[in-house]
Order: sequence, then C-alpha cells, then structure tokens
Amino acid sequence: MRTLNFAKRNFKEISRDPLSLIFAIILPLFLLFIFQQFDIPNVSYKLENFTPGIVIFGFSFITLFTAMLISKDRTTSLLIRLGVSPMKPMEYILGYMLSIIPIILIQNILFFVLAIILGLSFNINIILAILVSIIIAILFIAIGIIIGSISSEKASSGISSIIIQLVCFTSGMYFPREMLGKFFGKICEYLPFESCLTILKGIMNNQLEDITTRNIVIFGIYTIGVLAISVIVFKKKMTSDNK
Amino acid sequence: MLAIQTGNLTKKYKEITAVDGINLKINQGELFSLLGTNGAGKTTTIKMLSTLILPTDGKIKIRGLDIIKDRQKIKELLNVSPQETAIAPNLSVKENLEFMAGVYQISKRQEKINELIEIFKLDEVLNQKAKTLSGGWQRKVSIAISLINEPEILFLDEPTLGLDVIARRELWTVIENLKGKITIILTTHYMEEAESLSDKIGIMSKGKLIAVGTSGELIKRANAENFEDAFVKIATGGEL
Repeated sequence: MRTLNFAKRNFKEISRDPLSLIFAIILPLFLLFIFQQFDIPNVSYKLENFTPGIVIFGFSFITLFTAMLISKDRTTSLLIRLGVSPMKPMEYILGYMLSIIPIILIQNILFFVLAIILGLSFNINIILAILVSIIIAILFIAIGIIIGSISSEKASSGISSIIIQLVCFTSGMYFPREMLGKFFGKICEYLPFESCLTILKGIMNNQLEDITTRNIVIFGIYTIGVLAISVIVFKKKMTSDNK
Repeated sequence: MLAIQTGNLTKKYKEITAVDGINLKINQGELFSLLGTNGAGKTTTIKMLSTLILPTDGKIKIRGLDIIKDRQKIKELLNVSPQETAIAPNLSVKENLEFMAGVYQISKRQEKINELIEIFKLDEVLNQKAKTLSGGWQRKVSIAISLINEPEILFLDEPTLGLDVIARRELWTVIENLKGKITIILTTHYMEEAESLSDKIGIMSKGKLIAVGTSGELIKRANAENFEDAFVKIATGGEL
C-alpha cells in the first residue's frame, strides 16, 4: 500500500511537469511523423524498424525523468521526511518504478497509434511488444535511479542527456551499426541499447530469429546488474545524504 | 515519564567527532530547544534521535524503546519537519497531506486531514501547488504534514529559518499550541525563539552538550543580563 501511495505521488509529480510530456511523448511522436515524410533510402527508417526505435528513444527520457525526480526529492529533503517514516528502501524503489509504468503505456500506445495511422499494419505482436517494452523500461528506470541518486538536480539532466545521445547513436534506431565503423560498432555491441531495440523489433515484427542469444544475455546482464546497482546506490545515498 | 534518554551518545565521521558523548533527558510533553553555533552537532544529534542515522557509540531510548532494536516501532512514534520544507512541489497542499497520510497508513485519514486543515488554517491554500506557496506557508504545511501521524515526539529543525517577523510569530503560535500535548525538540539560531518557546534549553558546542536548563537558569549560570548574552558566554566558554 505504501508503495502504491508513493507511486501515485511520483506519477503526479512527473505528469504535472509539461516538459516531461513534451520530451517523452510529443518529441518522439514528431520524429516518428517527420521521418516518415522523407523518402530516406535506409531500412532503419521503415515504419516496422523505426517505430520500435522511437519506443526505445522515448525510454531514454524515462531515464531523465526518473533521475530528475529522485535528485529533486533529495534536494528538497522529502527523502529525509520519508526516511523518518516507516517506509522501507525497497518500497521507494518499487514506488519510483511503478509510477513510470502508466507513462510507458501512454507513450507506447500513442507511438503505435501514430505508426498505424502512418501505415504500419496492426497485429497482435504490437500488444506483445508493448508488454515486453515494460520489461525493457526497467533498465532505463534503473539507470535513472542511479543518476538521480548520485547527482544534483541540475547535473542529473545533463548526465541523462548523455544516455539520450547514447541511445540515439548506439541503438541502431537511426543507422545500422555497420555504418559506425569497427571501433564504435564494438561499443554498440557491448552497450545494451542495440539489444533492447533488436529484441523489441523482433517481437513486434514476429521475427524472433533476429533476436540472438547474445542480445538476450547482454540485455539480461545489464538489466539485472544495473537494477542491483541502483538499489545499492539509492540505499547508500539515502544514508549518506542524511549524514 | 521520559520521552527521550541518551547515554554517551556519540557520532564519529572518520577522524571527526560530530557528537561527543551526550547524556540527555527530555520529559514527555516538554519543548526542548537545542542551541549551538554552526557545526556544534545539533542536526547530527536530531538525525540520530529521529532514526535517520545510527550512532557510532552510546544509547538512545525513545519512550523506553531502543533506537536500534525497536527502530520500526519508534518510527511510528515520531515525525520531523526538516530544515528544508520537504514537501512534494507539484502536489497541492491537500495532496501532500493525503500522500503523507498514506505513508503512515492513517486509518481515519480524512478526519485527520480535516483536523490539520482547521488547526493550521490551510483552507485558503488547500488546492494550491506547494511550489507556488510563500516561504511562511510552506513551513506551516511542512509542520502540518509532520503531525499527520499524531507523533508523540516531533523534531523541528530550524522551523522559522528565513521567515519574516509576522510569519515567524504565526509559527510560534502554532508551536505554542502544540506544547504539552507532544514532546518537541527544536533547533534554532534565534535566541528569542528558544527563550520564548522552550521549557528547557540545551547548548551544544563542538559536539558536546555543555549546558542544560531553563532560560532563567542559563542566564543566572552565565551571570548575564539577557539570554543572548548567556548563550554567547556559555557557547564560547566566556571568550566573547
């Protein structure tokens, strides 16, 4: 109950910030629309490839909001007030995570509705992709928890922008890895964003054979690892902020 | 009955001793002010008493319960209004009260919220977002929120810092009205605030509790003309 109560408050805080809505929903919608107006001779921009790319791009803003919310809670001492209360650290983490799920659903539904209007054919795999995207979003929320726990409100937006750029350049949403050359291609391979996109694309287009074991392992290791680190860092920071 | 009792309470950060062997007794229903210069150890003491940080050494009993063994039980008994206002900025005043009522799982939630709205006269700002409130209103809301769980012990960390005279006097009235009903531990840099509100005053210097008494007792002890002079004499060891 405490977790839900905290999640409700977090959802209100995020959704009442107009910039959140502009960046998390309107900007990706605009990009999805505008790139379909050009005839770009690259498979990345085909609706069935670009729509999942936009979903992952939208998630990078989830990292930004989570980071900003947590750093703001630390700055305003709200976490001190809550630290005195009977709330437990796991309830905070779950509360932050649950509050983001409605935003993810709203994002995904709007992205896919626009994609369908633009010509993407509807099939049951889209629903599956939305469900899997919630699992993928855990990675992005966890990154946001780490950034928000270690940085100030101002710094957290700057650091999160790096994640947004990393997603753009290394996920393969705008151009395939081969175009980046050997060195950057390797970086893409070892970062989780390309795997996130490949998994989502494979499910949405019912091309599961495109998802390699390597994609699943990389995504799994990053998600579990980053989630574990986020819990440790958040707990540690809650104590050290109070010193 | 004692609300708070500490024995040799100590907090060390590597080489630095922030709080050095404090022995403190605060009676139930008492308003106890903790004074000291910056870095004297007041906030660290409050953080230990309010379960936020663990002591390096010594004991804390809150209403007879041990701060380490009975931590969760103690959390139900107390609340804090931190130095910063610590309210959710994009939530309205009413939503802030509802949110904290949810955190403490208050059973008669609406009844309690209505009671606080009445006590703190929050009607006029009830639907206003917390971030748009003036400093005085934010402090009022912060204290109102800290009473949501009907705490037996309330920690007020510099509650009137940065407020104008009128807003400060308004908050004094609020605090005066709480006196006797709950135990209040107040930290402040305003001498007249401590003198006017407190039943007892403790003065800290360099992590040590160097004097405890009523304002009258402390003036007498320092052989001073007023409380501010007494505080300066005691806190500086008579150097100023």
